[in-house]
Amino acid sequence: MKSTSRILTKEETEAFGRELDALGREVAADLGQRDVDHIRAVIRVARQTEAGGRVLLHFGLGPVSFAAGVAALSISKILENMEIGHNVMHGQYDWARDPELDSHEYEWDSVCAAVDWRHSHNYEHHTFTNIVGRDRDIGYGLLRVTPEQPWHAGYLFQPISAALLALLFQWGVAVHDLRLNESLRGNQALDVLWKRANPFLRKAAWQVAKDYAFYPALALFNAPRVAAGNFLANGARNLWSFAIIFCGHFPDGVRMYHEHETRDESRGARYVRQLNGSANIEGGRKFHVMSGHLSHQIEHHLFPEIPASRYPELAPRVRAICERYGQSYNTGSFRKQLGSVARRIFKYALPNLERRPAERAPVVGPTRRLAPDPTARVAA
Amino acid sequence: MIAIQTSAARAAASVPVRLRAAGRATVSTVARRFALDRQIEFWLREIDSSWSLRDLRARVVEVKDETHDVKTFVLAPNRRWPGHRAGQFVTVEVEVDGVRMTRCYSLSSAPGDRYCAITVKRVAEGRVSSWLHDHLRRGDGLAIGQPAGDFVVPSPTPDKLLLLSGGSGVTPLMSILRDLAARKALQDVVFVHAARSARDVIFGAELEQQAARHPGLRVAVVLEDDAVLGGRIDAAKLFALVPDLEHRQTWLCGPPGMMNALSPIWISAGIPERLRVERFVPPALPAPATGTSPAQVALTLLRSRRRIEIDGTGTLLDQLERAGERPAYGCRLGICNTCRCRKRAGIVENALTGAVSSEGEEDIRLCVSRARTDLELAL
Repeated sequence: MKSTSRILTKEETEAFGRELDALGREVAADLGQRDVDHIRAVIRVARQTEAGGRVLLHFGLGPVSFAAGVAALSISKILENMEIGHNVMHGQYDWARDPELDSHEYEWDSVCAAVDWRHSHNYEHHTFTNIVGRDRDIGYGLLRVTPEQPWHAGYLFQPISAALLALLFQWGVAVHDLRLNESLRGNQALDVLWKRANPFLRKAAWQVAKDYAFYPALALFNAPRVAAGNFLANGARNLWSFAIIFCGHFPDGVRMYHEHETRDESRGARYVRQLNGSANIEGGRKFHVMSGHLSHQIEHHLFPEIPASRYPELAPRVRAICERYGQSYNTGSFRKQLGSVARRIFKYALPNLERRPAERAPVVGPTRRLAPDPTARVAA
Repeated sequence: MIAIQTSAARAAASVPVRLRAAGRATVSTVARRFALDRQIEFWLREIDSSWSLRDLRARVVEVKDETHDVKTFVLAPNRRWPGHRAGQFVTVEVEVDGVRMTRCYSLSSAPGDRYCAITVKRVAEGRVSSWLHDHLRRGDGLAIGQPAGDFVVPSPTPDKLLLLSGGSGVTPLMSILRDLAARKALQDVVFVHAARSARDVIFGAELEQQAARHPGLRVAVVLEDDAVLGGRIDAAKLFALVPDLEHRQTWLCGPPGMMNALSPIWISAGIPERLRVERFVPPALPAPATGTSPAQVALTLLRSRRRIEIDGTGTLLDQLERAGERPAYGCRLGICNTCRCRKRAGIVENALTGAVSSEGEEDIRLCVSRARTDLELAL
């Protein structure tokens, strides 16, 4: 699918931004009891499924209770990471002043330290979304998901590295803020790396101790079963979060940006970039909650601080605004978006067959610079 | 030599204490790191809304109507309750339309009572007091803070006391009176209570009973709408009721108008140390002396790495909230210390007293501090 967003004039871009600003303000003013009731209801389900899963793993015998225990624990971990952890750490519930929902206090059930996540995700990814060279979430420094990334021979194996990343996704996320690439290239001193790695190492040690020592030890003779159950639940959560997150920015029709296009970027232009750089997944209410509402990646990138459970009601209004301004609104089924990401992982393992858009003369000019650049569009 | 022996003995005695403390710290770190505390707190709360290993919470055991707009909430705190002294207050946290809000309420119960109690007047436009009146029922859980405040009677109890209250300012004084009665320490106490009208008198019946029971207690209730002696209480009325008030240690709590009208008595008599006051409405902050408050100052928030420009006229808490920050706060009166914050550099002025701080690092209370220069705050 080709992105068909119209190029907006400077005035249109600002008007577009003002409409989204007004929409965001309207929802922010309406936040209240139902938002905290929602997140507490999700927390309740996550706690209950965790307790249920652990009881089944610890005291159960046989494969049926094992499978049920793994399933319950996986659901709990997915809810905790996606709808609770990710959204709370964005500060979506800071206005409620509940210490349990405080973005700077929350520590999630992942080997990634919350402090690292708030930097690499909330700051880097959400600020520099889809700017090649600035947004280190593009391919996670491991995969080539867009023709704008220069090819090298290492990418030939990326279908395998993508599968490994999916299985070990929490570890990929956790080491993301360490900038291992830069150390390998000799651009980051070892003591800087050590300092960056500290929160991760401490957090990971606690997590490994919890999943593979503490809970198995509590189960006595059932220890191997519990350790295996924890391992599988972590793996299921890894696969799910990888799939959801890769559908957010890497399917066909999502646009990448060059840094020169975003210099002196206005508020309106920033909204345009967030919109054209994100893709939604269609699904039911339960699917949205399990995805942490990242199935509404577009709304999330426009309003990262609005409680995610509001995105489904925001979506039709955002879409209507996009239609009026001729901006494409990238959405599709989970199967379609995931298939598109998978195809691209294979396709961009190989060097570009056509001339790289980046090699063309960059379009610079006071209005074009802010507007989406058609020459840099991701080709399907 | 003796000193060394004593400290060695003390050190030896404190080893098991320290070990126990270290053990407790380890257990709590492990519980937190394994997110066990989340599970434990969740399930405790599911069973009983006042149960917690971590937080001070209470269960409402009774709600009593005191007057048409005043209710007493009798609370059974959980095991984290340390006990209180008569005259102290607690912070009460409630959730109003999803937002946690905190207010300070004086305890009206005596320390020896089985339960503790707060007595709350419904304030027009008061979101927390209205919520308590409308929503808090018997059996509900309530988050409360540690008891605090120094509006207390010292020990030994002074010989002659005057307890002077207006409106809902009666609550800490009722606690003191009940405590003195329970300890049989009502030697020579005068209790003067001012209220708008007869239907607004809080604890009227109990005051009468206590006076009948204890010869050492004299109670006078002054009504604003009284046909004969009407009008607000002032120095002349007070002297008529308590001619020897200059010889009494006085505790005063009431609305700002009453406090402002009566406090000068002790100041002009040169005995300000005989008067103790407790405010429950923010005093109107005196405007900063002209020329002292800079038009624009920059606040650097070190933890969130944010820099905001404010004008120097409002309190830091107000200004931070206007800029979208959400610092912790409690009473907003400069009492409870919830909004305490580390100032790394810069000069602030205490909005209540006008005292000007030093340049260096110190703790300040955001709700009563105004910026005099650019500031760096550990927020």
